[in-house]
Amino acid sequence: MSLGAPGSILPREKGAAPLDVVIAVMAFLAALALGASLLAERTAAGWRAGLSDRLTVQIVPPANISAKALAREAETALSILRATAGIAHAEMLSESQTQALVAPWIGSGALLSELPLPRLIDATLVPGARIDSAGLARALKRAAPDSELDDHARWIARLAGLAAGITWSAYVILFLIALATASAVAFATRAGLDAHREMVELLHQMGARPSFIANAFERHYFMSTLGAALAGGALAAVFFLVAGSLESAGVEAAPFLPPLGLKMSEIGWLALVPAIAGIIALATARLSVLAALRKIY
Amino acid sequence: MQARLARRKRRRYGAAMVRFENVGMRYGAGPEVLRDVTFVLEAGSFTFLTGLSGAGKTTLLKLIDMTEPPSRGLVTLFGNDLSVTKRSAFPALRRRIGVVFQDFRLLPHLSAFDNVALPLRIAGKRENDYVQDVEELLSWVGLGERMQAKPATLSGGEQQRIAIARAVVARPDLLIADEPTGNVDSEIGQRLIRLFAELNRLGTTVLIATHDRSLIEDLRAREMRLVDGRLVELRSARP
Repeated sequence: MSLGAPGSILPREKGAAPLDVVIAVMAFLAALALGASLLAERTAAGWRAGLSDRLTVQIVPPANISAKALAREAETALSILRATAGIAHAEMLSESQTQALVAPWIGSGALLSELPLPRLIDATLVPGARIDSAGLARALKRAAPDSELDDHARWIARLAGLAAGITWSAYVILFLIALATASAVAFATRAGLDAHREMVELLHQMGARPSFIANAFERHYFMSTLGAALAGGALAAVFFLVAGSLESAGVEAAPFLPPLGLKMSEIGWLALVPAIAGIIALATARLSVLAALRKIY
Repeated sequence: MQARLARRKRRRYGAAMVRFENVGMRYGAGPEVLRDVTFVLEAGSFTFLTGLSGAGKTTLLKLIDMTEPPSRGLVTLFGNDLSVTKRSAFPALRRRIGVVFQDFRLLPHLSAFDNVALPLRIAGKRENDYVQDVEELLSWVGLGERMQAKPATLSGGEQQRIAIARAVVARPDLLIADEPTGNVDSEIGQRLIRLFAELNRLGTTVLIATHDRSLIEDLRAREMRLVDGRLVELRSARP
């Protein structure tokens, strides 16, 4: 019987309007971009945590060095590491462990056993300890001239840069999608005003304030956008949940890439997409209607 | 300064609901459809506006409800000179006027109830405060059983009664109606005119454009006749 919300003064379209489809697709893409930024941030944090408390020393075999001399250099380097304050644990990788590290790239055939692989020493730092990497590298060089210290700083910096790049790219994509959403709603609002011109003129003639008419339109487009964005966001959430389930079941989406599954706590962030889309629609519809009504009033 | 201006206006325009002084109106570069129209609608008056089709009745009503500005002359509404009144004040002035349009102008997607309740919503009233009023009014115009009907499912006469109920539901200070009984039978027509008369008795100023002589004779109210865009005062209200 009642009019209900003022928004219901506008007739509801039957079925999904073109704007609903556009908004649903936009929200799906926005949720994917947001999910990608969350994944990038989580993966980078994991990589940082895994590498920042580790050191690797490799003894690179020159062409004319004997296996015995190489082993001696490695033992010297290992003893220096074990004697260094701040290093909790240092261990030399066996030949088979070293071969296992490169096997994914060059296979495990006869070639692998013939390659002059470096000797690797993996060291773990005391949590929170700070090591003078340059000083340690010099000490190692003096005692074992073929040693090279890698504190992963370069890798960590590159990973942080990569994660920041992905995150900022996602933000740019989100901004562009927000812009496109606002444009679509503004276009739909103007079309709606044209379609309902007689009704707007009647309300105007009956003494409706511009804000009353704007309320009717903004609520209409807010509800419509919210519904469509919820559908698009939900679809993206399903995508990330299914990807996570498949990865848990052992199906790898792409080798060497981080997993695509989002945790439940991260899925919650996707709810921001329909909320922000709704706010954008509300503001855009209001501004568009008030701008158009200024010509009538 | 503003208060002094307002006092000066009140002195000049008095208690007139509507005042026209030498008003002329033309659409674009066309001929004048209203010429030197001068009249006053006093507060609480009941007036019929008559004339042949094309005489300018609808145009005159449009000047009163501010749909069109006059080409020349002075129009005041509730004491406000419309030529100097800020446009931002127009909505509040319009809410004091109930209009019955010749073509009804009902919103097709709203029910009869919601169409009638529209002016109350526009005035910012809450639903609980007006449900009973709207239901009573719809019953009074004989549509108590059709409150949920959409306009497309109603006859022309029923639509006209909804349009009238919508115009009077907010108890406007001024009611203007363009051929309000054109699509109803004589019995309903008489009832509607009695409704207008009752509103008038409660203080609403009423102006009805019609060519139905029987209504005019029954009510014995003031009659103004438009002839070729000029206003002829035919008769004052009779006791």
